[in-house]
Amino acid sequence: MMWSWIPENGSQIWQLTQENIYLGLAPALYGLLLSLPLGILAARWRWFYPPVLTVTNILYAVPSLALFIALIPSLGLTDTNVIVALTVYSLCVILPNVVAGLRSVPEDVRQAATAMGYGPLRRLITVELPLAGPVIIGGLRVGVVSSISLASVGQLIGVSSLGYLFVDGEQRDFPTEIYVGIAGVIALALACDLILVLLRRLMTPWMRERKGPAGKVAAPEGAPELAGSIT
Amino acid sequence: MITFERVTKRYPDGTVAVHALDLDVPAGQTMVLVGPSGCGKTTSLRMINRLIEPTEGRILLDGQDVRKQDQARLRRGIGYVIQQAGLFPHRTVQDNIATVPVLLGTSRSAARARAREMLALVGLDQDLATRYPHQLSGGQQQRVGVARALAADPPVLLMDEPFSAVDPLVRGSLQDELIALQAQLHKTIVLVTHDIEEAIKVGDRIALFHPHGTIAQVGPPEELLGAPADSYVADFVGFDRGIRRLSFVPATGLPLDDGLVLDAATTVEQARTRDQGEQWLLVTADSRPAGWVPVERLAGLPGDMPLSQVPAEGFGHAFIVGSESLRVALDAAVLSPAGVAIGVDGDGRVLGLASFEDLRAAITAASKQELAVLAGGPGQGVGASQDDDVITEPVIGEEPGGQPQAVTGQEDSQPASSAGAAP
Repeated sequence: MMWSWIPENGSQIWQLTQENIYLGLAPALYGLLLSLPLGILAARWRWFYPPVLTVTNILYAVPSLALFIALIPSLGLTDTNVIVALTVYSLCVILPNVVAGLRSVPEDVRQAATAMGYGPLRRLITVELPLAGPVIIGGLRVGVVSSISLASVGQLIGVSSLGYLFVDGEQRDFPTEIYVGIAGVIALALACDLILVLLRRLMTPWMRERKGPAGKVAAPEGAPELAGSIT
Repeated sequence: MITFERVTKRYPDGTVAVHALDLDVPAGQTMVLVGPSGCGKTTSLRMINRLIEPTEGRILLDGQDVRKQDQARLRRGIGYVIQQAGLFPHRTVQDNIATVPVLLGTSRSAARARAREMLALVGLDQDLATRYPHQLSGGQQQRVGVARALAADPPVLLMDEPFSAVDPLVRGSLQDELIALQAQLHKTIVLVTHDIEEAIKVGDRIALFHPHGTIAQVGPPEELLGAPADSYVADFVGFDRGIRRLSFVPATGLPLDDGLVLDAATTVEQARTRDQGEQWLLVTADSRPAGWVPVERLAGLPGDMPLSQVPAEGFGHAFIVGSESLRVALDAAVLSPAGVAIGVDGDGRVLGLASFEDLRAAITAASKQELAVLAGGPGQGVGASQDDDVITEPVIGEEPGGQPQAVTGQEDSQPASSAGAAP
């Protein structure tokens, strides 16, 4: 480990970190924006969800590098290629949480809202989505972490990120660079995750004093393990 | 006024939840829909605010067909309370209560001010305004649910098993509060319950459903208890309906005797000279009951000892002569070691004692009179309504809306006399 290498290359590491942040957050955000309408429809019409889930699971099973390569003919060796691919993965992990979150809204609360004269849209926006929020953010956390980590794979098709440090370090047989790349990706993922946890706390003042398992964010079932398998 | 006209609800699978229901809910009264689960009572309730749409027939709210009104607007004009309160977990108590006023366009600050008034109305502390629902007990949540339903002052209140999820003690006090609240607000209330006791307690009228969506009997509680339409109704209201019916007979008519009542300052010697073969003496302090002393216990005590120093037995509870029922008086006699009920005034001062024999005579008289009222046609109604007046007058005179029971007592006489005139 050559510690002096880090400050000497500080500006390049910072540059790569910024690129990695962009490649990690943009897909998670797009994934969320796509998951919301799909999840709302799936929560409303039960028949709609199983086929959608099947499609997203199949997409999720495609290795990331294969998906990047498959997108080259249409999108080339660009940021867009990586963002589109990672958006698909984000969608796959966020969507189940949107559905689970909306389904977790207690039936008596939904019914009370209707009975008091909420229209369906207003009820969705002011009652159901806020209550589903913690579970949705739980999915978003997995989406962000996996996107940040998968973004480095984009380096293999030449899209710059902290992944550059792995590839370059390997080619130059220089372990320090590889270690810095790995530590950077992990630190970045943890930082983003922490920010989302804080965001959830801010958005859910009503859960702050709640004790016990009800206050925990429900992790998407199976998603973390799956995310591990393709990274 | 809510009117069901031949309302039927049939589900696509052929299940009939409600069959050709005709029912009038008079304005300002509490109508309880009661019956076994699956009898269509909740379906009937939900058709009023169109959470469920009827298959046939129509429901009129003040003469207007509810299906011809805008759904959201209709619902904002009808209060709705459900079993688990259904409070919004992500909103504070005051914002929960402010829900409908805000939907109706009231500014948030005005709606919150209104919410705080409602908190006081349902007997909750102002400190709770900024709490979240999960920080409240079940009973408090249910009170907030009632406050939320009443916040926009709707003329109609629908309550779907409102007290089923709380423990019996809290349920009892919530029922008492509902009765007191209703005496003050005069809403048209439709309340669904499977608990006949609750129906009898809070209802001005009860609609008892058969298991499959038809009504077995509609009428004031004392009519269901006193003259069940058939064996189904008799079974449903229960085998002790004879005793429960006494809840509707005021204790005002009981003869009261004060021969056994002695002040605490009375000496043992004085008490002995009064002995007329009684076994128990009621000792009072400040005119209020202190305890029962068995006469045999006086033997061997110094003659100048005041009765306040003689060990006494607890007296259980007394009954308020002006406002409570024969049932309370009977219960007081059963729980008393002396087998005698203590009658007190509104301030708890002893007015006199009623023995089992007095109670038996009063119960027999009440049953005869009630049978006459229920059996009597318009021709015999005169005598019945006179009797009603005799019973009702002191109730109104002595306890103007003091206790929830007083309210029940007052309203008793109306259905009873109308029952006499109607058939």
